[in-house]
Amino acid sequence: MTPGVATLRKDPASAAAESEAADVALAASGDARAFERLYRTHLSRIHSLCRRMMDADQADDLTQDVFVRAWQKLGTFRGEAAFGTWLHRLAVNLILGRRKALAVERGRRDSDPDTLDELVGPAETPGMTMDFEQAIGRLPDGAKQVFLLHDVAGYRHEEIASLLGIVVGTSKSQLHHARMALRKHLD
Amino acid sequence: MTDNWTARLSEYLDETLAPTERQALAAHLTGCAECTATLAELRRVVARAESLEDRPPRADLWPAIAQRIGASAAVVPIETRRRRLSFTVPQLLAAGIALAVISAGGAWLALRSHPVAGGGHLIAETNAGAVRWVSAVDPTYDRTVSELQMALDDGKRTGRLDSTTVRVLEQSLATIDTAIAQAGRALAQDPGNVYLNHHLAETMRRKLNLLRQASGISQRI
Repeated sequence: MTPGVATLRKDPASAAAESEAADVALAASGDARAFERLYRTHLSRIHSLCRRMMDADQADDLTQDVFVRAWQKLGTFRGEAAFGTWLHRLAVNLILGRRKALAVERGRRDSDPDTLDELVGPAETPGMTMDFEQAIGRLPDGAKQVFLLHDVAGYRHEEIASLLGIVVGTSKSQLHHARMALRKHLD
Repeated sequence: MTDNWTARLSEYLDETLAPTERQALAAHLTGCAECTATLAELRRVVARAESLEDRPPRADLWPAIAQRIGASAAVVPIETRRRRLSFTVPQLLAAGIALAVISAGGAWLALRSHPVAGGGHLIAETNAGAVRWVSAVDPTYDRTVSELQMALDDGKRTGRLDSTTVRVLEQSLATIDTAIAQAGRALAQDPGNVYLNHHLAETMRRKLNLLRQASGISQRI
């Protein structure tokens, strides 16, 4: 540091959190620019969640829906959790609601754990390997949701059970079967 | 091939087994190479899942989102969002707290500066037409801010404040200015709101203090 020159030191993480808190407050009072900054900060995480939990071709539309819903519900954000946590939970709820509606339309896919090995078994084309993300995509819905929420997003079994309307034991069982099936697709 | 313990390996990995079961499974692992190998693979699956990288979409989704929320590049007029005003106060409280910390720029400077003398008298009280009242409390506010801004600019120009300091100060001041503008707009809709009066006055005072401290240190170095 140059002698005689003042320098402000701020922890980058806390500075980012402060800046985000201000943006949340500004966005809640109608500042679309502040909301755009929040969008850019959280876009990748939310889009990846949508892409993994839904079909990839629906991810863009769903991501838009998540941010529009977030804008509409910002007034209910009380700051009890980080904004990113609140947004992620909002996205998960929206995705699960959408999946439920789609399931009614299309009829449920078989999520019997016994079929897991078959569904995420060796790639269909000899010599071609399926990458890890593709293998996750081929898990049955129940196992995929539990795996993504627990191992990728960090939710606890109790939270997952509540979100999915299942019992904790089922969540644990689905997770184990998903992990067992995915062992074959480690890079 | 699997044994009775295979189905419990994920719970063992996640440390969600009861202590007695965990002990029993640990004992089993010492003599079962297959379960030990499976456990290692499960561990790798978990690590792989945690390392998945998030990717943005190929196209920017903001223009479509902005259109759907009725936003242009500019700030959405608060008149079109009156229903949200009921949420503005707690959210502005959050902003106030955030700004207090943002003013840590000032706090840091304060460690190096003399105590600030005679802060601006900007405490508001319940009063209709509060926007005018706040600025009328201290008629010298704008002039003082302008003078301090000039002193700060001088510090920047002469290099007495380094670029990092200047950047942080400018970011803090920009955030404070935005908050002042937002609070002003909210007050225009709800002039008698006590919290908004205090919030605006506090934010203006914060700006004054930050400028005082910054320009003070700039002049002493």
